[in-house]
Amino acid sequence: MFSENQSLLSRLIQNLLLIIYSIFALFPLFWMALITFKSDLQMFNTTFFFTPTLENYKAVLIGTDYIKTFIDNVIVSGGAVLVSVLAGVPAAYALARFNFKYKEDLAFTILSFKFAPEILVILPLFMIYQKLHLYDTYLGLIWVYQLITMPLLIWVVRGYFEDISVEVEQAAELDGYPWYSVFWKILLPLIKPGLVASALLAFIFAWNSFTFSLQLSGFNIQTVTVASLRYIASDTVHYGQMAVAATIAALPEVILALLIQKHLVRGLSFGAVKG
Amino acid sequence: MANIELKNVTKSFGKKKALNDISLQVHDKEFFVLFGPAGAGKTTILKTIAGIELPEKGLVKFDGEIVNLVEPAQRNVSMVFENYALYPHITAYDNIASPMRSPLYKKDEDYIKDRVMKVAALMKIDHLMDRLPARMSNGQRQRVALGRCLVREPKVFLMDEPLAHLDAKLRHFMRAELKEMQANFNTTTIYVTHDYMEALSLGDRIAVINNGQIEQLGTGDEMYYTPVNEFVARLFGEPEINIIDAEFVLDGGNKGVRLLNQIKSFDIPEDVYDALVATGKTQFHIGLRAIDLSYSFERQTEHDIHGQVYSIEPIGNKAVLNVDVNDSILRTVSPPDLNAEMDSDIFVSINMKNAMFFDAESHELVVRHNQAQYTKAVK
Repeated sequence: MFSENQSLLSRLIQNLLLIIYSIFALFPLFWMALITFKSDLQMFNTTFFFTPTLENYKAVLIGTDYIKTFIDNVIVSGGAVLVSVLAGVPAAYALARFNFKYKEDLAFTILSFKFAPEILVILPLFMIYQKLHLYDTYLGLIWVYQLITMPLLIWVVRGYFEDISVEVEQAAELDGYPWYSVFWKILLPLIKPGLVASALLAFIFAWNSFTFSLQLSGFNIQTVTVASLRYIASDTVHYGQMAVAATIAALPEVILALLIQKHLVRGLSFGAVKG
Repeated sequence: MANIELKNVTKSFGKKKALNDISLQVHDKEFFVLFGPAGAGKTTILKTIAGIELPEKGLVKFDGEIVNLVEPAQRNVSMVFENYALYPHITAYDNIASPMRSPLYKKDEDYIKDRVMKVAALMKIDHLMDRLPARMSNGQRQRVALGRCLVREPKVFLMDEPLAHLDAKLRHFMRAELKEMQANFNTTTIYVTHDYMEALSLGDRIAVINNGQIEQLGTGDEMYYTPVNEFVARLFGEPEINIIDAEFVLDGGNKGVRLLNQIKSFDIPEDVYDALVATGKTQFHIGLRAIDLSYSFERQTEHDIHGQVYSIEPIGNKAVLNVDVNDSILRTVSPPDLNAEMDSDIFVSINMKNAMFFDAESHELVVRHNQAQYTKAVK
């Protein structure tokens, strides 16, 4: 039991630690946003006090095709997550519910896609993509991004399916629901926290992916991570413009994470199923 | 309302045979109990009838029609699952209402409300209607699950240990309630339990299941008085039946059996004697219910068996008195307030008229006195 003073003290310390941590976590973001308003001239000789300018934004958004790369990135990452959800949820269900030969081996193989360093497989992939004419196409990138998004989604959602007792599904069937209603009304709400969280994480990983889009796309399609490289010129680095590109690139992730925050809290369905 | 029949149903999980050639017929409006130890295959039988598990061989028939290929939803059965299988994300009310909101059994909301509240009142869970399953005790969840089953009017109720997690008082109450409901609903019910009292009190007929096979099928009285083998005999009754080695004595005019190393043999009734002679064997096992043994602390007749008090276990309105006779333990019942020193001398007398004789090798029932009185035909 804590006395009044002690609990006040411990709360104070807790809050202090949290404040320190949030400064630690947020400062890079703040710093990045700050230098977007600095001109190249003031980049190195000012810290917090400088003449703000929108020149960097103008240069990036109007001067280059950054907006197109942004849209490309949305298409590729969003498409990759969509495919992963459509294919991954049934796959996760099958891995959780059915018994078949080499099931665990298959599950492990799927997971192992995440182990392999991207750089290791990029060369053979590059050659295959050239032959198949998938190089520099949306389809090609969405496909290769499955290596990033699918394993994560399958493994998280599979765990959620395994936590739902099979009798719950059977009960719903006996209650008179067809299989798609069982999925829609019973299973989906129960896996929702896992599905949303893993889809968001998968989106962030796909969005931030660099190696695949650098090697497997060229001039038609460019993602923001690759496009950011452009601001490193041979003679100088345009930190301001680069910061603009990075800030805009980070926005969707931040907004999505804020929107989905409440689903990121796991644990809605547990206890009841397991009883 | 339906007549349900399983014909030569076989089902395995991997290498383990869960059901081995099960055939049984449940009559319309019957309360049929599946009884047996854990892992016997009782739940698998229920799920096979529900259509959730498909038999590898054999037929499932509803009213004479083969339903092997009918989807579970279309069979119009209502089931209580042993682990409740409540929908965790919706309230108790919505759980119970769920079958009446499905496309197949759709009812309007007024009707649903009326039905749900009625069932909830019956189950004494009307104060829990707004709660999620996670915020209920196991007994409450079980009653919600039972409510969800009873709210419908299906062809057959399938109940898998629906009272197992209730406290003793509520269990007795619900047992009586179920019996009453069964009479009013006019619905076939198949009920799984491992509690012999539930089986005897609820079942019109009982099937004893063991290792995926039916050991015996019949009324409660048949199970209790003429079990087909020692396994069934041991399942019914508390304390467990005494099964002791007995030797059939054929010398002279002495028609009796010797047991527990006693010098005197015990007389047996004429019909039993004839049946034992007919087997041509001399070694038997003899089954004696605890109430067929009586005890006293002084020798009453020369047939009394001398032993020592081994232990006394009070179980409420009676006590189980264990008597040690030459290193075998005999179980008998005594008043709960019996005062006896451990290891003190005690004399047990046996009511041979109620003894059951089992074959020493096959463990199957050979005969008991007045057998025809308890059953029309021994299966």
